[in-house]
Order: sequence, then structure tokens, then C-alpha cells
Amino acid sequence: MPAGLMAKAPPARIPAAPDFVRMQGERMERLQAIMVQQGLDALVLLGNTNVAYATGAIWSLGDSGRANFEQPVAVVVVGDQWPHLFTPVREDDRLRENMPADHLHGPVYLDFDEGVQLFAAQLGGLVPSGAVVGMDEWTNALRRERSILFASGAPKDAGRVISMAKASKTPDELSAMREGLRITEQAIADVQAKIAPGVRQTDLTATFFRTIFDAGADANILDPIWQVMPARMEDGPWTTTGDLACPLLSTGRELAEGDVLWVDLGISYAGFHSDFGRTWVVGREPSARQRAQYEQWQAIMGAVLDVTRAGATAADLTAAAIAAAGGIKPWMPHFYLGHGLGIDSAEMPYVGSDIGEAFDASLVLVDGMVLVLEPIVWDDGAAGYRSEEVLRITEDGWEPMTDYPYDPF
Amino acid sequence: MTAVEILPDEAALRLARRARVLAAMEEADVDLLIVGREGNARYVSGAPRLWTAGSRAFGPGCVFVRESGAVHLLSTWDEGIPEEIPHENLYGITFNAMNFVKVLSKIEGAATARRVATDSMSGSSANLLPKAFPSAALVDGEPMLRQVRRVKSPDEIEAIRSSVRVAEQSLAAAAEALVPGVTERQLTAVFMEAMAAAGVTTPSGQDVACITSRQGPWRRSDRDAPAQPGDLVAFEAGVVLGGYTGEVGRTYAAGGAGDIDPELAQRSNELWDRLLDACGVGAPLSRLLDAYDAAGVPAPPMPVARGLGLGFDLPLVTHALPLTAGEQHVEAGMVFALTGYVWKEGVGALYRQEPIVVTDSGPESLSTTHPRTRSLTT
Repeated sequence: MPAGLMAKAPPARIPAAPDFVRMQGERMERLQAIMVQQGLDALVLLGNTNVAYATGAIWSLGDSGRANFEQPVAVVVVGDQWPHLFTPVREDDRLRENMPADHLHGPVYLDFDEGVQLFAAQLGGLVPSGAVVGMDEWTNALRRERSILFASGAPKDAGRVISMAKASKTPDELSAMREGLRITEQAIADVQAKIAPGVRQTDLTATFFRTIFDAGADANILDPIWQVMPARMEDGPWTTTGDLACPLLSTGRELAEGDVLWVDLGISYAGFHSDFGRTWVVGREPSARQRAQYEQWQAIMGAVLDVTRAGATAADLTAAAIAAAGGIKPWMPHFYLGHGLGIDSAEMPYVGSDIGEAFDASLVLVDGMVLVLEPIVWDDGAAGYRSEEVLRITEDGWEPMTDYPYDPF
Repeated sequence: MTAVEILPDEAALRLARRARVLAAMEEADVDLLIVGREGNARYVSGAPRLWTAGSRAFGPGCVFVRESGAVHLLSTWDEGIPEEIPHENLYGITFNAMNFVKVLSKIEGAATARRVATDSMSGSSANLLPKAFPSAALVDGEPMLRQVRRVKSPDEIEAIRSSVRVAEQSLAAAAEALVPGVTERQLTAVFMEAMAAAGVTTPSGQDVACITSRQGPWRRSDRDAPAQPGDLVAFEAGVVLGGYTGEVGRTYAAGGAGDIDPELAQRSNELWDRLLDACGVGAPLSRLLDAYDAAGVPAPPMPVARGLGLGFDLPLVTHALPLTAGEQHVEAGMVFALTGYVWKEGVGALYRQEPIVVTDSGPESLSTTHPRTRSLTT
């Protein structure tokens, strides 16, 4: 069994355990600096992951329907080292230990005019009148609020502020992310041991759920994908791109001997999302043709890793991948060769996406970025191979964040 | 029976929902409706898409055109897409906001639409949508969507009943695992495993178990603290099946339900009776808040009633929004999770949440484990 990515380069520079207080302090320093630079007096954040970033609050993310209506809200004010958090669980000891009591407020409901009015009244006590406020997203009820947030038209984009602050991870963030990825790999090992003909996709999900929580996860973040790939692309669903359909939803479908499974999933731990991808073959050893796919995938991954370092552009990575794949783009056109990972499952930097080649050429990797590389090899008639690896960018190259073996290849 | 194929929602269900939205668009004089919230997109399209946890920023996930009745949907493939949504109406995942503008501006009537409604908004979409709809005013689409979604059809009620059944089944497994020494996280693990084993891989929430505090009514402790004998553990079981949320809340004592404090159980039952009394058709929903006051029970930080449907629905009844509660009334066909939460110092809390459907003759539970007989005194 080939060893995982850490056999190539052991991760020496990530602290063994995160210091969450220090992590939050450093985040706030970054946010404050960007806010000053952009002339923002305050940020109002609604997006779950943005709120988690700004406050360090951890809660188990739920279905998006409820998450959009019962969302915790964060307010960051220039000059105040503590964020404000509006939440129904302010009596949570984990919050009380890490935030001043006068920065913890009851829940607000910003989808309702009454909720917005009550929030605006509280906000008026936190920010000076005439303050320049940024917001990441808003409800229609918020848009009707004219005293602070929409006093001078649409508010500035606070999502951009978070994007800038989170792009490069601090050592404590890297350490927490590594733990989330480790939990994921631990659970996946339990799942992989159960792969056999007759097992249902949803059974794999059941095992995965059981083990991620037992191992310390806060939430599952994506309905896990165990996609049985068709041998030929034309045997799969129609797509807008004329390319592969992936990821497709899991069902009670039973696995059959010889099925090629593309696995894709992730969890949340301490406010970070993990990501995992592998290809498995059900109930038999990979064929020579399948092994050749895997070898080519390794060659592509190796070629990309060879050029991956701070200072490289996204275009350097895509060029290396294309060269190693014999001139074609070895990734799905509706996705990318790689993407960032952190508080969101997919965040900047996007590498090889439809934002375009000019963007890739302008995107420079920096120390501390976390990148998920997910090239594919498609071999029409014999399906294909896809795996993901997570790494952190360093000044002189990269360090692995994942270490799962490639078994059965 | 677990499905082995990805299928759209039943034609009768999805077409009826779509017709209700269309009528509301006519009433509100909306030419195009753009929804980002998954529940709204599912309501209009009837297409299942990948479940992800947490809130989502607004993006054009689904577009509904009043004039043609056409649905345009963000989906890179046609698996699970209803037959009446043709390939040319599907648009793929994009990371390039300008590609969204291109897609949207090609939709029939985009150039001339006067009123385009959205269900929420983000900074980038606020800048981009006017480029796709140059003649349009962007208006609030949420009131009409909430209006049509609030009252459920019989098919929808059955869908929620199916979700509740899986929630109860999974809750039973978690309750079985409640022994001294177990942690909240481990109980969540058991619930999630049982849910997926029953064929449903999408929870409504993942904060499934709470060891209620003996020190304060709303205190939460570490998720890895072991349950002590006699601790009252509140379970919030929620699953999403076919897009519909089913939720049930129950409280059990670690080491045997017989240990529950009789005075606490009595107060909880009194509150519950008052809550049910307030659920008669036509009553203002603020009566649910009054029920807490009348029972002498402090207002909980979570909503007292929250609509069940595709993700989130009205009503929303919380002490944090007293006026909103008074403006809403109990209607036949409403389905909501009704919450009772009573705490006693030194003991802990009794939490119960019941999926209630309002009928002409009053509230009925969609749960098969009736709150009186199961959750407290047995």
C-alpha cells in the first residue's frame, strides 16, 4: 500500500496543538488592520462561517434553511479587540470563557422587520452615528433599515474583508485544520474497511457519521459522496459542460464488485472544514489499466507539487498539471485543479477555475495558504482516478496536511 | 424503503407548489423570481441538490419566469431534474460572477423585466444583478414565498410526517445510548448513524443532545463532558427527507427515566397544556408567548414555535419578536415545531418539541410518540 503524502515531506512546522485564544487574537488584529485600510468602522457579519471566523464561536452547523433564519450575527468594531456576538446560546461555557459578557447578546432575527429594528437599536449603541459599515450579505428586511446599515445606499462588502484576512492561515489555524483532517482520515479508515459488494452508499455514510463525532467532529458539512463512476463518460448524466457529472448524490444503492467509487466529503472541527477525496475499487484489486490511471495521477500531482511554493502563481500550477497530463486539463471544467480550504470547504485561492486564465496568472500563492489539489485522470472506457491532497504553502515549497494512504492502489 | 436513484419530487407535489408561487407572483406583480435559499429553490423546482451544512450566501440558485412559467436552475447535470425543466434551462456551477450575469441576461424577458424579486442579497449580487436586468427594480420576494409556503398541502404534511418518523426512530437509538458517562458528542454520533442507516443522510441540526445544566436554565457545557446519573438530557432530533424537515424534541434522564423530578414534570405538563390551548385556528400566535408567562415559566432563548417545511417556514414565534408573534395567526395547514422548556435549579431542564399540524379541530402531533405518554413520566 503506498503511504500517504507525509511520506514525501513530513510536516515539521505546524504546532502540535492550537492555542485558540492566540488564534482569535491574531484574527482580530488582521481584521482591524484591513478595516482601517479600507476605511470601515464596523463589520456586520451574517454568514455562518464568517461569524465563526470573527468570533471563534463553535456551533454545530445545521440545514441551510434554519441556518439562514436562526443565524448568529457578529459585529466587529474598529478599535475594539473583542467582537460582539448575537446568539441564542450565549450561556455556552465555551463562549463565556473566551468573550467578555458585555459582548454576548441574545439572538436577532434579521429576516423580520421587527428583528431588524431591534438589532439596529442595539447596533446604534455599538457604532458611532455616520459609521461606515460593511456587511457580507443581507436580508430584504435589512435592506429596509435606513438608520445605520443602508443610510447611504448599499453597505460595503464585508465578505471581502474576511476573504483577505483568512487567506493565509496562522500556525494555530493550521494546527486546528490538521486535527480536523486527521479526524476525517480516522473516520474514513473505518469506512474503507467496510467497502464490499452489497453495502449501500448510505451504510457508508452511517459509519462515517458515527466515527467522525466519536472522534471529535463538530458537524458533518456535506452529504458524503460515494459516487459509482460510469466506465464511459457518455454513460453518465448529461452535463452543461459535456464533461463528467460529479458529485452526484448518494442513495441506498448497493455497491457491486468492480465499482469504481469516487469519494468526496468533509467535516467541521473548531470552525474549520476538512476535505477528503479518494478513488476506491469495490471488492477486487485494481486492473492494470486502473493502476496506470493512478500512476498518471501521481505523476500529475508530483508535477504540480514540484512547482508549488510561495511566489508561484496559480497558472504555474495549472501549466505543470496540463504538461504532465499530456496537454489536456486534468480536472473537471465545472470545478478546478485546486482550491483553498479553511473556514469554508472551498475558498480562495481557486486554481484553474472558470474565473479564467488571466486570474490564475495574477494569483500568487503566499506562505500559510492551504490548498486542496484534486486533479483527475479520466480514461474513457475504464472510468478514472481522482484523489485530493491538502497542503500548506511555505516559502520554499509546501507541507502536507493530509496523510491518507492510496489503498487499494 | 430507501431510494436507489436520485429522483425529483413527485410531479403532483412540485407542480402544485410551483402553481402557488406563480399565483403569488401575479398577485405581487413580479416578473422574475430569483431564489438563493435552498428551500425556496426546492419549492419552485422540485429538484434535489447537494446538502451542505450552514447558511449560504445569496446566489442565483433558481430563476422562475412568470410569463413563460419556465424554471431555470443552477445544476451542472440533469440527474434528479424534473422533466419539465429542459437542458437549456440548466446552468452550471461557476466561480466567476460574470458568468452568472451572462446566464441570467439570456433568460427570456431579462432585458425587459420590470420587477425582479429575490429572497435575500449579497454584496456582489447587488452589484451584478442590475447588469442582467437593466430595466428592473429589485424587490423583496420573501413575503410572497413565506405566504405560499406557510400553509401546507396534504402531500406536504405527509412528507413532513415521513421525516418525523425517521427523526423519532433515530432519536430512539440515541436515547437507548443514554447511560451515565456518555457525552453529547457520542449521542450525536449514535443519532447520525441511525439516521443514515435509515436511509436519510441529511440532518436538520447536528446539535442533537444537550446535558441540561443544574446550575442555570440555558447553560451549555463542554460537548465531551460525561453525563452524570440523573442528568436530564435534551434531545433535538431533526432530519431532512425529500427536502422536508421533521423535528422532535424529548428529554430523558441518564440512567433511567423514572428519576425525573415530579414537580418539574408537573410544571412542564402545565406549560404544555397551555401551549396546546393556544393553538386553536385563528388565535394570534402571541398566545404561545403568553402561555409561558401564564405558566410562570421564563421565556426560552430559542423560538417557541418554528415552521416546519422545506428548510424553514413561518410561523416564527419567539419572545425576541413579540410584535411579529402577534401579527401571525394560527391557520389550518400550518405545521410547526412547538417547544416547551422548563428548568428547575439543581435538577435540570425538561425540553420537549412536538411537530404540530393545525387542523380545523385543533393541533395534532405528527409524532407517533405522544409527548404525554412518552417523554416525561414513563
